[in-house]
Amino acid sequence: MNIVAITACTAGIAHTYIVAEKLQKAAEELGHNIKVETQGSAGIENELTAEDIEKADVVIYAHDIAVRGASRFANKKVVDVPIGTAMKQPKSLIATIEKKLAAK
Amino acid sequence: MPLNDILNTDIIDLEVQGTNKDEVLHYMANELLKNGYINDPEVFVKDIYEREAEGPTGMGSNISIPHGKSNSVLRNGIMIGKTVNPIRWESSISEDGFQDTHLIFLFCVSADAEFARNHMMLLSELAGKLGNDVRVTKLSQATTKEEILKLILCDDSELGEVDKLLNEEEIVDLDIDL
Repeated sequence: MNIVAITACTAGIAHTYIVAEKLQKAAEELGHNIKVETQGSAGIENELTAEDIEKADVVIYAHDIAVRGASRFANKKVVDVPIGTAMKQPKSLIATIEKKLAAK
Repeated sequence: MPLNDILNTDIIDLEVQGTNKDEVLHYMANELLKNGYINDPEVFVKDIYEREAEGPTGMGSNISIPHGKSNSVLRNGIMIGKTVNPIRWESSISEDGFQDTHLIFLFCVSADAEFARNHMMLLSELAGKLGNDVRVTKLSQATTKEEILKLILCDDSELGEVDKLLNEEEIVDLDIDL
């Protein structure tokens, strides 16, 4: 799968970046491509391009504050989870998405 | 050099004293005061609790990452502490909502966005490194300040391997809408 994701947490200091890394690792391990945009105190980093979004099979929002620029994903399949879920079970999250997409 | 501000052996402590979260936070705040990172431990701890109230900062693997933005901060940094005692800490990872914490990364970040800006990229880069389970496992096993510093700073490719990860995730089906 081609995955794009956005991470955003309340203080924007820690979880945003830790979870971005966890999603990256989990996707790689399960054989998927992923690009994660972080929306934290350092601003928006690794910003998703129109092409990234166009190519993506699925969009993951891992957040506990509002995602900025959500209109970019108007026509995409979006999975919306609390950032704690992605922190705790990044591999399960991606594996479940893969299963659900395959079943469609 | 900003990296040396943010991370150095002066603010790594292998014997953090205290038997509960409040005691260790105050202990660590006093260390930050002694090293010139903050000017008021009471204000700093209060600001940390403000962030704690918004959600758990235990991230599993016996690690906690308390972090807040505070006006008491003079230098941005990350204090790293190994606790003498296991500390009961709110956690999003465990079933009952608590974990035993042995390793604490206390983010010391100015509430002044302008002032913090220069360091945010570096702070975020270092935070991201805690998303690597091999690094986290090795950090838990590290016994010297130098070793801890090296494990944080090295690239993922330089980490090597571990026999067993601290927090191996079992893959299960999640209840998500798609």
